[in-house]
Amino acid sequence: MTSRQAGRRMRKFTAHSARSSSRPGSGPSNAARPRRKNEPLRPSELRRLVQLVACGTIFVLLVAVKLLLPAKMAGFNEQLSAALRKNMDIQAVFSAVGRAFDGHASGAMEDVYQAVFHPNQEEDAAVKTSEPVKMQEHPALDVLRTYRKPAEPSGMEDAASEPPEAEPDGSAETEDAVPPSDASTLAYVQYSEENLPDTVSMEQAILGFAYDTPLTGVLTSGFGYREHPIEGEERFHYGVDLAADSGTEIDCFADGSVTAVGESNSYGRYCIVSHESGYSTLYAHCSRVTVSSGAQVTRGQKIAEVGSTGMSTGPHLHFELHKDGLYLNPIYYVSVA
Amino acid sequence: MFPWHNLQITAGFVLLTAWFALVNGFQPLAVVLAAAAVHELGHYLVLTACGAQISGLRLSALGAVLETDSVRLSYGKELAAVLAGPGANLLCALSLTAAGGGRWSVLAGANFILCAFNLLPVRPLDGGRALYLAASWLAGPAAGEIIARWTGAAFALGLTALLAYVMWRSGGSLWLLPAAAASCGAALSGITGRTP
Repeated sequence: MTSRQAGRRMRKFTAHSARSSSRPGSGPSNAARPRRKNEPLRPSELRRLVQLVACGTIFVLLVAVKLLLPAKMAGFNEQLSAALRKNMDIQAVFSAVGRAFDGHASGAMEDVYQAVFHPNQEEDAAVKTSEPVKMQEHPALDVLRTYRKPAEPSGMEDAASEPPEAEPDGSAETEDAVPPSDASTLAYVQYSEENLPDTVSMEQAILGFAYDTPLTGVLTSGFGYREHPIEGEERFHYGVDLAADSGTEIDCFADGSVTAVGESNSYGRYCIVSHESGYSTLYAHCSRVTVSSGAQVTRGQKIAEVGSTGMSTGPHLHFELHKDGLYLNPIYYVSVA
Repeated sequence: MFPWHNLQITAGFVLLTAWFALVNGFQPLAVVLAAAAVHELGHYLVLTACGAQISGLRLSALGAVLETDSVRLSYGKELAAVLAGPGANLLCALSLTAAGGGRWSVLAGANFILCAFNLLPVRPLDGGRALYLAASWLAGPAAGEIIARWTGAAFALGLTALLAYVMWRSGGSLWLLPAAAASCGAALSGITGRTP
């Protein structure tokens, strides 16, 4: 209501000034300010007037676009807020440059690149892997899909449209044996080698250095495909989720140095620690990180506290183990309550 | 003594600071402001050592500017005062690295980036002014003006392109937008010949 009133007032104003600007020579001052007839408009006043008209026009145009094309405006809004949220991790940039300055030039450029262009690694990885996975579906999946509840939101549209009667014959007994769990059947079958994302290894690596569990928590989500708890679609989960109370101490996995402390939409507050022979660990969704980037840390040292920052539905630690850009399954190295 | 009564803070500076704090958090803001303070301190110390009177400090969206009274300094002294800011940042980065090892790498990196950014030969920045002063000293003010103008325009164009590329590739980092707009403006003023 108020905006419409303002718009009308603005329109009146623009009509007014349009009249005045249409006759620049003879008497613009007369049209704009009838009370002082002989006085011409001073340059500063004219500039103010032009500024007001420009602002008014922009306002009227935006209101008109919002009223006439609400869908377009909503889309634009979405794009704008996405651009506002996506930012380079400026602290990581500073840290990387500072370390390069210190003589640790190796890898500093990659750190800067990572901080500038891929602050939300998890999201990017999820987008990259979702397509090839869909193309390499095993024929057996068609059978298993029918176990899924039709109402369940999932990335596979044909699963919901297929009625349960369309199952092949002879599989009735095995069907009953399978528990009607929510998403696990699909995830289970997709663990053949060719269905794994390229960046994932399911093998248990021998680390060659001493390590310790960051904390002892309840395993709420394992390494592998799962239905994303917030986005709803099938995605690869690159770490393990260990639920624990907010504020629980997170200890460093092994000796190393903190290479990144940051905050992202998906990870929340997180930090990355580099260990020897190319291994690194990531600790996400922390309520706070108690070490700073570049610090030397030892095994068992407190580096953060459990929280629920970022894309999270409750306090837990999202723990990832990397080796030279490959995601390993951390479940072999943590203790579960 | 420093004339605190002549401290000007523009609305643009407040807005940019608030935006930066909102987007990046308070810790990076403190780091950047500390590096900027070191930078201005460098200018201030050398200016007072050269005998100039500081008449005020203006904080705008384009950065901090120290205003001096109208006493003309010699080319050499002014060059020293202009280079003192980036020099102070470099010194700070070096001493932080030497003293703390990797502990203060964020601060050291911020100082180093500020030093490098200010040494770009684009006119409102220290590098551009230093280039103008040095060229004027060696070849006369007219030649200095031409050299500074075209070098600045070329670098500002490149900087604009680089910032736009970073923003496009990272799909955000909108707080670089003021910097991109400012460098675009510097390039335009260099090309059209109006001194900034």
